[in-house]
Amino acid sequence: MTMGMMFVLIPGLAHATQMHSTKEGILVHQLGHLFFLVSMAILILTIQGKKLHMERGWRLIQYSALFFILWNIDAILVHFLDNQSSFISTTLISMDHIRIKTLETHYDLSRLYYLLRLDHLLCLPAMLLLHRGLSHLLQRKTP
Amino acid sequence: MIFPYTPILVIDVLGSLGMIFVATLSLLKARKLRAKEPDNAIFLYLVWICSGLTLFALSRSFGHILKQVLLLTSHGHTWSAIAPYSGTINTVSFMLVGLVTLFFNQSWTINTKILSSRKALEETHAQLVSLNQTLEQKVVERTEMLTTSEHKCRRIFEQSLDTILVTDAHWCIREINPAGVAITGYTKDTLVMGNMSMGQLFSSEQDWQRISQLIMENEFILNEETYFKGAQGNKLYVIITGGIDYGAFGCAKTFHFIIKNINEKKEMEEQIAQADKLAALGELSAGVAHEINNPLGIILGYTQLMLKSEAGNKEASPYHDDLKIIEKHVKNCKTVVSDMLAFARKDTLEWGIINLNQVVSDVVGFVHNHADFRQINMGLDLFDQGSLNVMGNEQEFRQVIINLLINACHALDKKGDIFLTTRKNRSDEAVIVVKDNGKGISPKNITRIFHPFFTTKPVGQGTGLGLSVSYGIIKKHGGRIRAESEENKGATFTITLPSPPDKGDY
Repeated sequence: MTMGMMFVLIPGLAHATQMHSTKEGILVHQLGHLFFLVSMAILILTIQGKKLHMERGWRLIQYSALFFILWNIDAILVHFLDNQSSFISTTLISMDHIRIKTLETHYDLSRLYYLLRLDHLLCLPAMLLLHRGLSHLLQRKTP
Repeated sequence: MIFPYTPILVIDVLGSLGMIFVATLSLLKARKLRAKEPDNAIFLYLVWICSGLTLFALSRSFGHILKQVLLLTSHGHTWSAIAPYSGTINTVSFMLVGLVTLFFNQSWTINTKILSSRKALEETHAQLVSLNQTLEQKVVERTEMLTTSEHKCRRIFEQSLDTILVTDAHWCIREINPAGVAITGYTKDTLVMGNMSMGQLFSSEQDWQRISQLIMENEFILNEETYFKGAQGNKLYVIITGGIDYGAFGCAKTFHFIIKNINEKKEMEEQIAQADKLAALGELSAGVAHEINNPLGIILGYTQLMLKSEAGNKEASPYHDDLKIIEKHVKNCKTVVSDMLAFARKDTLEWGIINLNQVVSDVVGFVHNHADFRQINMGLDLFDQGSLNVMGNEQEFRQVIINLLINACHALDKKGDIFLTTRKNRSDEAVIVVKDNGKGISPKNITRIFHPFFTTKPVGQGTGLGLSVSYGIIKKHGGRIRAESEENKGATFTITLPSPPDKGDY
């Protein structure tokens, strides 16, 4: 058990196994977002296919899935700009301000990045819609 | 470009806290749904989704808040060390949510199957309940029908005027209805509780052997006539129909019998046969009497002529006494022949409405003065509720009543009581009853008293034609005559005559 914990928490070189570059982490994370996005899309289509959207509760869950898709797109873009490209660099210059620096002076990209950082404006409504949907399902009469 | 950091900070922190809060609420809602319908696989699926999202919200929100705190406190290097772990947990949590979501379709299919199975199960259950209720209803109805049927059968058994008798396989009586108890004269306890055998009811052992053998061979008997022996030793003429019941539903083998008492029918048949015989005899007697009457007339005529011719002679004829004897016996013969003709008379006498009370009173008044009736008390009870009229010949009715009174007088040896009654029966017929307390008629003779020439009187005192002539007269008038007697307890003769038709009919 202790050995296992050591392998996970204090990684070191293990020449017997394949080496993994630091890029793998972000790729796996991005694939995770993509997988989440696809699963939400499938959920929307399944609800549609089974005509569950006729019921308000399921329709709200459908909207929730849509917001999660948008949030995943947002997150993928932010991660891409943050970790996979060298277009953007950010510096906290004071408690109140942040500098967003682009490789070439693309102000629009800076503004877009700034907006994309406000991703809770997508995932929180997604959660709220899910909660509302569940509330409606709970209120409906038992079949 | 420089942007304000506060909106990012506020939205990040508040959004993270909101995510945790709403995700937790969603998980609670999902759990409520699950609790509401525990069998619903979709709600279980929603619980999984919400659990995944809550885990995701927790890990992500804590990560974001921690990041903001560390960055604001100039511990960026610390965050750089923690960030991979936080990211990894985030990745795993939303991949978990995605993975669960992919099973929605399967969950839905499973749920649909479960629901359809449950519906089918509920329908089957409802059908079973309905069938059970129908079955219970049917049982109640059948029980009522069975009770009604049993009650009906019991009433038939109890009320039947014919005997219904059931024996076990060993011929011991197990059931007998009240009619059976009445005709046999035994008590029900003796018959049933006393294990009395069916054979003991039979008068003849041979008859019982024959009938029991017939049942065993043919499994039934139909209208077998035999004699039963009653409890008082009396014989009963009965007709038996019976069969074997091999039993069903656990019942034992039994024999069932229906027994009809035909004693009265048999007596009536015997009377009819007797009447037929008398009628035939009457026809024959009339023919013989007619053939004899003419030669007797000639013989009497010549005898009387010879007696008359010799009366003119002064000397007495040696044949005078012989001729007188011939005359006497021929006259006797003519009387007999005359009675025989009266018995089977076909000639037409004058008929009219006759008051029977008047006829009976006249005859009683007439015979009362006769020497033979002087020591006999004559009682008379005449019908006094209107007239007692019949249609017929008055002279013949007088003859009938005189004959009955003469017979009664002989039975009393000229000393005793004779009682005459006239009345109407329920059928509005006129009835005359002549009853004496004389020596009566023996059972052996009672069936023969209406036969012509049958007499119990000494030779020369009776012709044996009185009752047969009376019988012929009553039959001719459409009536009936019946004799009842017990030896040494007197005899009763009952004459029944039809009432005359209404005046408009003649």
